[in-house]
Amino acid sequence: MSRTSESGGHMEVFAELKKILEELLDLEDREIAPETLLIQELGAESIDLLELAVTINSRFKITVKDDEIFLTRFRLYSTEAKQQGKDAVHYVAGRYPFLGEDRIAEIMAHIKEGPQLKIKDLISYVTYRSQGV
Amino acid sequence: MSLTFSGNRALVLGGTCELALTLAHSMIESDLFPLLTYRDDKGLRAIREALRSFHGKYETCYLNFGDRDSLDSIFTQIGDDLNFLVDFAQGNYESLIAGADEDSVYSYFMENISFRAEILKRVGRAMLKKRKGRLVFISSAAAARPNPGQGFYAAAKLASEALYRNMGLELGERGVTTVILRPGYIEAGRGRIYLQKQARKILEMTPIKRAITGEEIAQTILFLLSDSAAGINATEISMDGGLTSGK
Repeated sequence: MSRTSESGGHMEVFAELKKILEELLDLEDREIAPETLLIQELGAESIDLLELAVTINSRFKITVKDDEIFLTRFRLYSTEAKQQGKDAVHYVAGRYPFLGEDRIAEIMAHIKEGPQLKIKDLISYVTYRSQGV
Repeated sequence: MSLTFSGNRALVLGGTCELALTLAHSMIESDLFPLLTYRDDKGLRAIREALRSFHGKYETCYLNFGDRDSLDSIFTQIGDDLNFLVDFAQGNYESLIAGADEDSVYSYFMENISFRAEILKRVGRAMLKKRKGRLVFISSAAAARPNPGQGFYAAAKLASEALYRNMGLELGERGVTTVILRPGYIEAGRGRIYLQKQARKILEMTPIKRAITGEEIAQTILFLLSDSAAGINATEISMDGGLTSGK
């Protein structure tokens, strides 16, 4: 997928992701926005996430590591940082270089409410990987 | 009964063994297209010799269990266009548990279990894209009833069975299903050599009083790949003439 500009690239990625999610999940006319929570709001289960990873890999022609894109080890990394006496936001950001520290802090603030994975995190991952990183 | 199949491209792991070559014959006759893996020139020659009258109706690809680059190259060669997997691949390591060489044990399990899990991941993801796929793992009656010295072989087979079973549990709702076949004593490959040495004893133990033929195994695998068998998922089937049911 070519990127005309930073925001243009994001919009294209979002439009394609929206299409994919509509194909894969039973959304019942639910609106999808970058702020939508994938697991909590759209009800995506592990088999859906697996299929999503496979589809993202083939549509965007990027390597997808499931643990990374779905932030599977987020809690584990936070705990690791605390155990090692390190700054948790900085430490986790090092593990998920496609997310900014602001976003990491935001996830940490809400993580007790349930899985915080949002569509915008997928956009960040796809954009990051599309740059050949 | 005429069998119908959903798709025609079948990756056959361990494609150089006698059973795989018998199966390849039957597959080609049923309009399936086998992709047979080999790990050395000798194996490649064996495939070409056995299938010399079927030029253009099969493909070969190099795969060495434990060599992850060879797995990459298979997917580069065949892409994601895959409908079936039949897995005959199995290294043999015969040793008493208390007499085993540690390095051999580690590498045996890495090659026969961990590497197989990686293959399953790759194949499962390819099939998930089509929401259709069928995998058959050829295990062994020895998985359930090993002889002394077969502990590592049985452990690897049971672990691999577990991987296949779970794959069918996990992806069944997306059209990707699995089944495990446990043949008993077979008149083919390693089994034939064993049978020659132990024929009388084995016939006495087996209720049907004979060994299973390679042709019977091939036909059963074809059935398991067919649409007729689609309801058989995430389970194992013994084909040993009743050997493991009694004592």
